[in-house]
Amino acid sequence: MTTDGTGHESVDLVRPYVITNGQELPKGDEFELVTLVTAADGGARRAQLDPERRALVELCCGGYLSVAEIAGHIGLPIGVIRVLLSDLAGNGQIVTRNPVPTAQLTDIQVLQEVLDGLQTRFG
Amino acid sequence: MTAYIDDPVFWALVAGIAAAVALAISSHRRTRRAKQEKELLSERNDILEQRFAESVEEARSRAEHGTKTALKTAMRTLQGLANEQQIAISGLQRKYGDQRILQDLLDIDHMNSQFGRRAQSIAVLCEGWLGRHRSVASVYDVVRSAKGRVRHFTRVEIHSQASFAVISQAVEPVALALAELLDNATSYSAPETTIDINIRAVPKGVCIVIDDAGVGMNEEEKTRAAELLNNPVSGVTGLGNPPQFGFAVMGVLAARYGFTVSVDTASPYGGVRAVVLLPQELLTSMPEPQPVGPAAVAQTAPAPAPLPGGAVPDPLAPSAAAHMPRAVPHSGPRPVPDPPGAVPAARNDAGHDAGYGEERREPRATTRGGLPKRRRRTPMTIVGQNGQDHEAPAHRSNEETASIMGAFQRGTRTGRTAETDPEGREFR
Repeated sequence: MTTDGTGHESVDLVRPYVITNGQELPKGDEFELVTLVTAADGGARRAQLDPERRALVELCCGGYLSVAEIAGHIGLPIGVIRVLLSDLAGNGQIVTRNPVPTAQLTDIQVLQEVLDGLQTRFG
Repeated sequence: MTAYIDDPVFWALVAGIAAAVALAISSHRRTRRAKQEKELLSERNDILEQRFAESVEEARSRAEHGTKTALKTAMRTLQGLANEQQIAISGLQRKYGDQRILQDLLDIDHMNSQFGRRAQSIAVLCEGWLGRHRSVASVYDVVRSAKGRVRHFTRVEIHSQASFAVISQAVEPVALALAELLDNATSYSAPETTIDINIRAVPKGVCIVIDDAGVGMNEEEKTRAAELLNNPVSGVTGLGNPPQFGFAVMGVLAARYGFTVSVDTASPYGGVRAVVLLPQELLTSMPEPQPVGPAAVAQTAPAPAPLPGGAVPDPLAPSAAAHMPRAVPHSGPRPVPDPPGAVPAARNDAGHDAGYGEERREPRATTRGGLPKRRRRTPMTIVGQNGQDHEAPAHRSNEETASIMGAFQRGTRTGRTAETDPEGREFR
């Protein structure tokens, strides 16, 4: 039923709200779909994590993965992945890197004014 | 003596004695008869009483049976609906996983789980169907599943993970029994206290210890609980008012599946300490080994390597990792390149699935440690389709090529000569 690296049935048996332990979904946009995540050092602490969090950290320890990809691999809803990520980031077990910001688009009003000016000049 | 013969008093005395004797005899007879009658009546009464008891018992068992059947049928429907709803909710959670609505979906999921548990409990007491089949699951997951079925689940803290798994048949019953214990623990303790769960391996199996900091149970309650746990009752008539399902359900499940539940010790926090002992027969080794990180990492390492330099745009890294392995599988017809690591276990796990499910699950299983998942999926499609596509044109004969070109030319010409109306419809 689910695509989960930690086992097919475990997600079915353990519902997502138990995995998040009833935490509110993060409100801010700190974890966008394209935010990149990698595991921080500290493998010893991983043993204490529950299977989903551990799977997540181990998934990321090879390099940077985007939030969307993590969600795809773990097989949990993205919102739930965000909760896990914010937990792990709070513990210092993962490091995030924000995506390259998209180029600032010029204000449409300026463009309109330029267009108007050109039209009055040449039109 | 003869002097008294004429004495009327004498005669009166004689008559009186005679009358008294007659009276005594008749009264004796009457008493005897009454005694006999009494015996007869009491015999009859006994028979009647016995028959009455029998018919009451029969009526009771018939009513019990009727209630059980009715409830069992009703619960089966409800359980089916709860399961169906859970699947629907899971689908929605995945579909709207990125949106605010997910929070509500999680809440609904929680309510649905509680609803399903209630239905299951009643079904258990009515000797009914427990629910869907599960596969082997770790003790930790079974405990978490139980945690998710009670209202105040956030107060439940699981402190240890054991490397044992519960056999598939016992997953659902153990989860349900634990859920009933947790329900009691959360209901009879203050809202700000936590319920601690510890999982311990003992020589006889695995102990799941649940401690609450609640009000505890008095002697009477303990006796009743022990009674229900040790001599499981069937049916819903002896549950009291208001009915208390918890211990009755646990007792039935424990007897049916062979684990033990005890609640007779006090918790160090002042509440109740409940101990569930799962014997070796219900345990097995973990369904699959722990995620194999290093193997997967070794494979993914080349792709992310340039990243620390920071010069390469980051989003490329994952896709580079995804594309890189594509070149590998072309070397041979073998569909699965068998990366080292978790693959064999994963395949065993997926073995019972067929068709599409297996195809989907195999790559997923490979990815446990990271990216190599994609390496397994791609060759299946690329080798099969693209290879043929590329080779096919080479085998076309000249005549075929000519006829294809001719057909194309004819078509173009017809198209040019045909006139169309303003709406594009063709007419001649």
